[in-house]
Amino acid sequence: MHLFKNSLVRILPVVVVLFFGVTAFSAGPGINERIKQAQTPYDKKMDPPIPLPVNTVKVTLAYQGGTFYTQTRKDQIERFQCSSCHNDKEVMVQNAARISHADKQVVHGGPSGPLDCNTCHSKENRDFLTTSNNRKIDMDHAYTLCGECHFRQKKDWVGGAHGKPVSHWAGQRVVKSCTACHDPHSPRFAKRWPATYSPPFK
Amino acid sequence: MDPNKKTKETPRENFSDTGPGSDQISDRVNDRVTPLSRRTFLKGAAAIAGSAAGISGCKPTGLLGSTEAFALEFQEYFKKHYKLMTPEEQLGTVSRLERLAKLKDQSDIKISTRQAQENVLYGYAFNVTRCEGYMECVKACVKENNLDRKSNTQYIRIFEMEHGKMSPDQGDGKFFHEVPRPGHFYMGVQCFQCQNPPCVKACPTKATWMEPDGIVVVDYDWCIGCRYCMAACPYWGRRFNWNQPEVPKEAVTKEQHYLGNRMRVRGMMEKCTFCIQRSRKGKLTACAEACPTGARVFGNLLDPASEIRFVLANKKVYRLKEDLGTDPKFWFFID
Repeated sequence: MHLFKNSLVRILPVVVVLFFGVTAFSAGPGINERIKQAQTPYDKKMDPPIPLPVNTVKVTLAYQGGTFYTQTRKDQIERFQCSSCHNDKEVMVQNAARISHADKQVVHGGPSGPLDCNTCHSKENRDFLTTSNNRKIDMDHAYTLCGECHFRQKKDWVGGAHGKPVSHWAGQRVVKSCTACHDPHSPRFAKRWPATYSPPFK
Repeated sequence: MDPNKKTKETPRENFSDTGPGSDQISDRVNDRVTPLSRRTFLKGAAAIAGSAAGISGCKPTGLLGSTEAFALEFQEYFKKHYKLMTPEEQLGTVSRLERLAKLKDQSDIKISTRQAQENVLYGYAFNVTRCEGYMECVKACVKENNLDRKSNTQYIRIFEMEHGKMSPDQGDGKFFHEVPRPGHFYMGVQCFQCQNPPCVKACPTKATWMEPDGIVVVDYDWCIGCRYCMAACPYWGRRFNWNQPEVPKEAVTKEQHYLGNRMRVRGMMEKCTFCIQRSRKGKLTACAEACPTGARVFGNLLDPASEIRFVLANKKVYRLKEDLGTDPKFWFFID
């Protein structure tokens, strides 16, 4: 009996420490578990509701079973409609320098296959873009054209890993168009100075 | 200038300042407070403040500016922990803070107490391939969160790292030259909003906690400034106010949240809150909205159709110091 008591006294602290140790460190399910369990669609409505930004167009591609919107492009182009100049009318010589696109430098495609104007712009109908197999593409849906070459980026853009939403994570999904961030004639981001700096660690 | 700091000092100053005609003054105090006391939440407290002012015989004008400001600060001094307040009490403290800001700085701020939504758990992903080190996020964060301009407090730090390096302690966190630099990539760190946050465990006053939507917040008025949380954080995610934060009046972001970007005071901890004042309204965080390259993905982890879930499902992701078991809700990914 004495021996039993003795051993109990010895074991008890160990049991107590183990019990409290386990309870102290048993946090709920990890974040990866919670993400795996969360499979029911979330109603992204907000109170007050988020208005759809003006100048958006519905994307023709499906996004994870739903639809999404992107920014329009045509209203951002200074001299749209293009066909108002690109037609059979005669052009005054003194206006030619001003209204031609001589300022546009195409830095797109790399040294192996540089692009020219008509790689993307339709020769027949100047208001539209064209793919390599002569499919006419509306300028508001330029992502279809960009995705011809940049198909990986297009897949990521549709999913959400490339590009970004305009302003909200909730509500109707509205993402920036390709040309909102990239200049189509020179798509690489320019080298520049940072907007600010960080002070040294103290 | 934050009203709350003063609350902690002013009563003592005024109690020592006893003078004649205290009854008369207390009447005046009560008169001044009357319009406010119509609101139910101020009723009892205003009377207490008024009588307290009478006992101490505080002057209607002086250091505090006005007796109304004093009454409000008196009530602010004795308010509860944010989590223990009823919604009415929360609205009460918010309206007091708004009124104090109006009285002292003539600024019309709007402080929200918007609660977490159900089935929302915020998560963040950072594309190390896309970030070019333009630092637009840092600039936007400082502006949005009313960070101290005097000590140059920043929640975000962008590290310039050589290709092949993985940990930010091998990177340069204070670069300032034309970016992107060849042979380097950029990695942004901030508070990772751990699901198992060590800072919360370290806090002796429960002034910091994790909200149901996964954001770790600080009750700035309950923090005693011991900086235990700062020591507990393995990511250098918390900032301490060594001096009274200074923000130019015209640069103050007026849309505020009680747990977010409302003005802090000297001697308090603060941290990134995923822009709680924006994200709870459905907006992107300021850093994500400012990013010119789309390297920052913000969204709801519990929504299987969200962008962040797409990144987690389709990209190669990693988390910083994952082996510590802090379970951060901030992933880095490569294209």
